[in-house]
Amino acid sequence: MGETPLTGNALEVRGLTRAFGARKALDKVDFDLPEGAFLSIFGPNGAGKTTLVKILTTLLNPSAGSVRVCGLDVVTDAVELRHKIGLISHNPLLYADLTAEENLLFFAEMYGIPDAEERVRELLESVELDHRRLDLTRTFSRGMLQRLSIARALLHRPDILFLDEPYSGLDPHAMDILDTLIAQIRGEHTFVMISHDLSKGLELCSHALILANGKVVMFDERDAIDEAAFRETYRATVGMGVA
Amino acid sequence: MASASWRQFKAILRKDLVMEMRTHEMITSMGLYAILTMVVYQIALTEAGEALDVRLVMPGLIWVAFIFMSLLGLNRSFVHEKDQGCIDALLLSPVDRPVIFFAKFSGNLLFLLAVEVLSLPVFAFLFLQGREGISNPIWLLGVVMLAASVGISGVGTLLATMTVNTSGKDILLAVVFVPLMYPLLRAAVGATFAAVIGGPGSIETFWSWMAWVAGFDVIMLLVAFGLYEFVIGA
Amino acid sequence: MNRTKIARLMLALGGVLTTAAFFMTFFWANASTFPDGRIDFGQKIFYFHVPVAEASFLVFFFTAFYGVKFLMTKDRRFDTRAKIATEVTLLFVLLTMATGILWTKVAWGVWWLWEPRLTTYFILTLLVIAYFVLRNSVEDEERRAVYASAFGILAFIDAPISFFITRWAESVHPVVLAGGEGSGLETPMLITFIVAQVGMLMLGYAFYEMRLHEEEIKERLEALKVTVGG
Repeated sequence: MGETPLTGNALEVRGLTRAFGARKALDKVDFDLPEGAFLSIFGPNGAGKTTLVKILTTLLNPSAGSVRVCGLDVVTDAVELRHKIGLISHNPLLYADLTAEENLLFFAEMYGIPDAEERVRELLESVELDHRRLDLTRTFSRGMLQRLSIARALLHRPDILFLDEPYSGLDPHAMDILDTLIAQIRGEHTFVMISHDLSKGLELCSHALILANGKVVMFDERDAIDEAAFRETYRATVGMGVA
Repeated sequence: MASASWRQFKAILRKDLVMEMRTHEMITSMGLYAILTMVVYQIALTEAGEALDVRLVMPGLIWVAFIFMSLLGLNRSFVHEKDQGCIDALLLSPVDRPVIFFAKFSGNLLFLLAVEVLSLPVFAFLFLQGREGISNPIWLLGVVMLAASVGISGVGTLLATMTVNTSGKDILLAVVFVPLMYPLLRAAVGATFAAVIGGPGSIETFWSWMAWVAGFDVIMLLVAFGLYEFVIGA
Repeated sequence: MNRTKIARLMLALGGVLTTAAFFMTFFWANASTFPDGRIDFGQKIFYFHVPVAEASFLVFFFTAFYGVKFLMTKDRRFDTRAKIATEVTLLFVLLTMATGILWTKVAWGVWWLWEPRLTTYFILTLLVIAYFVLRNSVEDEERRAVYASAFGILAFIDAPISFFITRWAESVHPVVLAGGEGSGLETPMLITFIVAQVGMLMLGYAFYEMRLHEEEIKERLEALKVTVGG
């Protein structure tokens, strides 16, 4: 699906600024993320994490700077890029009055997936929801919704997956299932995760980024990070920007 | 690309129809509203009794009912999208924003027309029995209803996309929507009046009011279409 | 000369001109009398009512103009300009309504008539109020700016349609400046009218510019707070 980016980088963020008037949600953010990496983004509330992910997923445009995801520009190549990204949020992003199967078939239509029914059945099986495929998602538990949400995000076989606090609101059992699912697909995708949970985020990631007041405070590979020092930096930033 | 947009258009419209068939949310609330309005009309007109030719006020009464009825439907139409953040999933998919506009607009138009077509005979049954009927051919009413509902749904879809993201969305939609609809309603009432009362020259009057309706539709739909991408992305 | 000074000058000049026009209507352009020789005092309001009404349309144009510019650039300054233009529009529309109602009472014997200009003005007033209600209902600043711009554009297009449709549905309002039998203005009246109109536009500009200045200072203060890290 599509050509491989020449640099081999899944993300290339250069001087990314997002501002409205004087307020800067993101201020000259720079970083590269290689393909196949798992990036965890940490930071206090209002640090710009959600804004960053919204720009990377083409939902917002940058005010200045350039952003390439999978080698595609988020502004000029937005429609093409949307074929390559998936999002799993703490919000399920599913229609409550459609069945599990109808939800997936609807999004399959939106993406123009060939053999949609086949693909939907396969995904429902992999998230262990095939027995509930004809039930309205209104009747689903939080954990089931999150599994279905993962199936929706994987429908079009995206190259890069964004996880926006996927663990928030999940019970321990649902967290286990999510862990297993992520472990299964880990090798096939690049991951970008927003997390409030430092231990969880560090456990999963290959790269870590701390954002505060719209600026990158720290960005490094997991192996190069001294965990104690990292925790100290994180704690220092959490106080920042919180009014 | 064009065929992809058409496929996405159908998918969104079908999804909205399936959900409506399942919940009956919009049709029920709009239909009930129409019936309640008629009860209120009965109270309003009762003292006038036989002295009043209901046909003189009928065009105004039905458009009052239709415009407020449409507000109910429009408010509902984006609640599903907002509920669990579905609108983000929709915007994340490779769909051109105008496709979303036309699909939501078509759905709203269909629901509005359905309730209009159901409530008009009820109105005639309750208020026009034993009185003089509608003078000009009845299909003229169909023409006004279709054309004016296009304008209502078009501008309404744009405004509902905004107001769903605001505090106090139900009231706000009425506040921004009704004044904007003034010219369209004025022309729709004029055309409906010409169709109902009849008389010499009424067909010409009807069509000249319809020219206003059509003009409003074309101008406002183009503007709404042009603004939609900005509004839905905000 | 900077913009603030120009605005102050305009405010002074506009004040002088509109006041002058007020006196001119009594002592110079005193042409309008009833057939029995009484002076038509009701007519005096024309020199205030029409200039302010025309100024309101002109200012409302800037709501839509800056709305378009904002959507093209997403530059917050244009939204601020659109907002202030709408504030001045609201002021002028309310003044037009007030003077119009007075005149209607004097000339037609009733406070209100659903005739084209009153109706249009009523709708315009509602649209301008709705603009601010919409602004106040949106939390996020950028979203607020986008919605307000879109609504401002729609409202500006809607207003003339409302005007022409009500006019088309038959007007009983006098059309003073459009010519026609006995509707022309004599020279003193015309000059008085022009003085009032120019004065009113200057006032409009001054109000706009001074509010903008105030708003820009506020924004600069906010920017400073952000830099200082407050």
